[in-house]
Amino acid sequence: MSYFLLLAINGLVIGLIFALVASGLTLVFSVLKVVNFGHGSLYMLGGYASYYLITALGLPSLVGVAGAMIALFVFGVVFERLVIAPMYTDKVERKDEYAIIVTFGLTILLTNLGLVVFGPFAKSPPSFMTGALILGPLILPYDRLIAAIVAVVLLVGLTVFLKRTALGQALDAVSQSRESAAVIGIDPRRMYTVAFGLGSALAGGAGALIAPIFAQSPSMGDLPAVQAFIIIVLGGMGSVGGSIAGGILLGLVQGLGVGYLPDPNRALAYTQAFGALLLVVTLLVRPTGLFGRSHLRLE
Amino acid sequence: MAKDSAPFFSVDALSKHFGGVHAVEDLSFGLARGEIVGLIGPNGSGKTTTINMVTGALKPNSGAILVEDHDMAGAPAHRFAQRGVARTFQVPRLFRRMPVMENLIVPALSDYGERRGSAEERAHGVLQFLKLGHLSGQYARALSGGQQKLLELGRALMLRPQLLLLDEPFAGVHPRLLEQIIDHIKSLNRDGHTIVVVDHNLEAIQSVVTRVMVMARGRKIADGGVAEVLRNPDVVRAYTGTRANR
Amino acid sequence: MMRPSVAQWTQGLLLALALLLPLVSGPYWIHVGAIAWYYALLAASWALLAGYAGQFSFAHVAFAALGGYASALCIELLAFPLPLAILTAVLLAAVVGALIGALVLRLSGPYLALFTLAISEIFRLVLVAEEDITRGMQGLSVPSLFSGNSDVPYYYLGLGLVVLAVGAMNGLLATRVGLFLRAIREDEGAARASGVDTTRYKILVFVVTSVIAAIAGIYYGHFIGILTPNMAILPEMGLVIAMAVIGGIESLPGSVIGAVVVFLLSESLRSYGEWRFVLMGLVLILVQRFAQNGLFPMLEQLGHRRKEPLPAVSAMEEPRGG
Repeated sequence: MSYFLLLAINGLVIGLIFALVASGLTLVFSVLKVVNFGHGSLYMLGGYASYYLITALGLPSLVGVAGAMIALFVFGVVFERLVIAPMYTDKVERKDEYAIIVTFGLTILLTNLGLVVFGPFAKSPPSFMTGALILGPLILPYDRLIAAIVAVVLLVGLTVFLKRTALGQALDAVSQSRESAAVIGIDPRRMYTVAFGLGSALAGGAGALIAPIFAQSPSMGDLPAVQAFIIIVLGGMGSVGGSIAGGILLGLVQGLGVGYLPDPNRALAYTQAFGALLLVVTLLVRPTGLFGRSHLRLE
Repeated sequence: MAKDSAPFFSVDALSKHFGGVHAVEDLSFGLARGEIVGLIGPNGSGKTTTINMVTGALKPNSGAILVEDHDMAGAPAHRFAQRGVARTFQVPRLFRRMPVMENLIVPALSDYGERRGSAEERAHGVLQFLKLGHLSGQYARALSGGQQKLLELGRALMLRPQLLLLDEPFAGVHPRLLEQIIDHIKSLNRDGHTIVVVDHNLEAIQSVVTRVMVMARGRKIADGGVAEVLRNPDVVRAYTGTRANR
Repeated sequence: MMRPSVAQWTQGLLLALALLLPLVSGPYWIHVGAIAWYYALLAASWALLAGYAGQFSFAHVAFAALGGYASALCIELLAFPLPLAILTAVLLAAVVGALIGALVLRLSGPYLALFTLAISEIFRLVLVAEEDITRGMQGLSVPSLFSGNSDVPYYYLGLGLVVLAVGAMNGLLATRVGLFLRAIREDEGAARASGVDTTRYKILVFVVTSVIAAIAGIYYGHFIGILTPNMAILPEMGLVIAMAVIGGIESLPGSVIGAVVVFLLSESLRSYGEWRFVLMGLVLILVQRFAQNGLFPMLEQLGHRRKEPLPAVSAMEEPRGG
């Protein structure tokens, strides 16, 4: 029983991090209608940014996380302005293709840049807090607890931001209809920039939170990227609540799956494959996902 | 215009709903060869949904669509097109990065019944008819809005249609082009084409059709000669929302 | 088509160079060239699928793996003679290609990409998981096609396959099928309303390109001698995409040239380590940003007069997404 709880809690922590990554991805999709195939590399970049802020500047760990989020926000804004913005004009002919290729190019660029600059070996920034919380038979390292708490805070903050603040509502308006938003005075292009920056910051924050727990390497973004794609499809592309639910679900499935399947090689491969299978089935059976907004067109 | 006793195209109890919304409810009508009919109604009356169903772009929930006694309800759009049910779109949907000629021969070649040489000859003929012959070398996206509308008509003609459904052919068109389009439609009807014109421009419709059907809130509320239909109190109410007697 | 165009002269010249390469180069570059043909097959067939027919699939390298593994396993486990093994693998790829094509009919853009990415990952993970059969990451050994140690026969085999594949695809595109595919890419609904059976042609394109990818995978397996699931990882797909996009996503010769150039460059820049892929990512972004149709079509246009008049500004031009 305690084994189950241990796996479940670890799965939950991972799930919350996945949810954070996925919420950034879904935000970008809902506002810009673009799937950012480079999202995983932003996660990786966040981890490294935090690492360097902590080790080179000696900042406290959580400040490092915040710093990473700010850095990624700026990066996201710059990338959106330089590379994605041209998509909105008629200079770009095949827009879907453009978005996929350009964001995929970002992954290639950043992952390999990471390999060159940071080296392929894993690095670990210092823990947020050493030690662990012990509740009876459960041992929960403080790192994971803090990561989970911060993730929850960020997710709740995001939801509140989107529903209660003027800027958040502006983003929501653009995600529903950019023409209507423009009519009431919201500049869609500025919202695209904000959304992309915010989405990048969320991914970066997730990477920064994970870094002390699992260490980081330039390819660390590959798996979370795929997980994020699965989650946003499962939860409904464009739905932040769906990303949260989907992230937690997927994290639990993976946490429990790895623990309970007998053959370790098969276990790892099949728990990952299961997520991919969920994506496939969701797109076939209920393309709008569990919580997706059915009025969001696929164009 | 000899009228056959049995219509060659008819629709029987056609219905379509989206969730709780009944876009089209129990629609029935028949078309004789060589007829030219208008289909009008306020926005949301189900005209476009009807066009989409009788061209295979949408599957009806119930009802029959009889093309020469074959029930084609639910068949895919390309089958309708190959059977000679052709349509134009409200906003032209041309193959923009393809040349004008290629836009025209796609429909001709689609059912493998025709060879390329013959299709190209016919395409030239259609371009002449539409007075667009000088544009044959251009890419579709280079055409002006009015030319695109005409080209789309040409593309429909290349299917050698038994039935032509024109979705808002007069919309957003400047007066000179409007005259041209009206002339083309009349000319096509004189050649024996059966045509359904959906539009909001009553004046233009009246100048080409003798029979008009009116839809409101998914149902057909009138079907007959233009003058009598326009006097019909149900029709007036549908458009103005007022009650004729209180 | 009286005089060959500049593009055709260039392609002819490059083909001649390719034929002569083994006579003037050492074994290292012949080996590199033979691998380049693998990528050229993948890039060209992917260009047909994604660029020409608009089906942006991430499952292409998985089909290569399917072909390679199916053929090799038929030989190893079922003791099939080589031709039968290859035929079986090709048929399997055709059937699976048709299946995938049918499943993705209603998907487009990023949804299609994500779907095919997931399919690809599932397949790869099954290859990893079932290592009793596939030897997993240790690798499945594949017998050589030719006796002796030289790579030259493989080089020419690969080149021959590329020429055949491009020829076959061009042949297909010259028929009305090519016309329909372009129409589908431009506006699928309008194509249907014009009588085009879009379902049939979309599935056809998947079948044709999956078969070519599978053949590439079979070639690769026999050449390298060993197959691992890593041939289907996402970065491999990314490499194929980069090659096709940089070369010219709507141009078959362009994508072949793109594959060769990108692969040769990445080999010659080996000493710079991962910087070569940083460069590739950067070039990919820049090419998309400034030359969406790829570099080689752009160079082609410099060679002859523009046939197409400059597009007139149309009053009814609608911004996308309206």
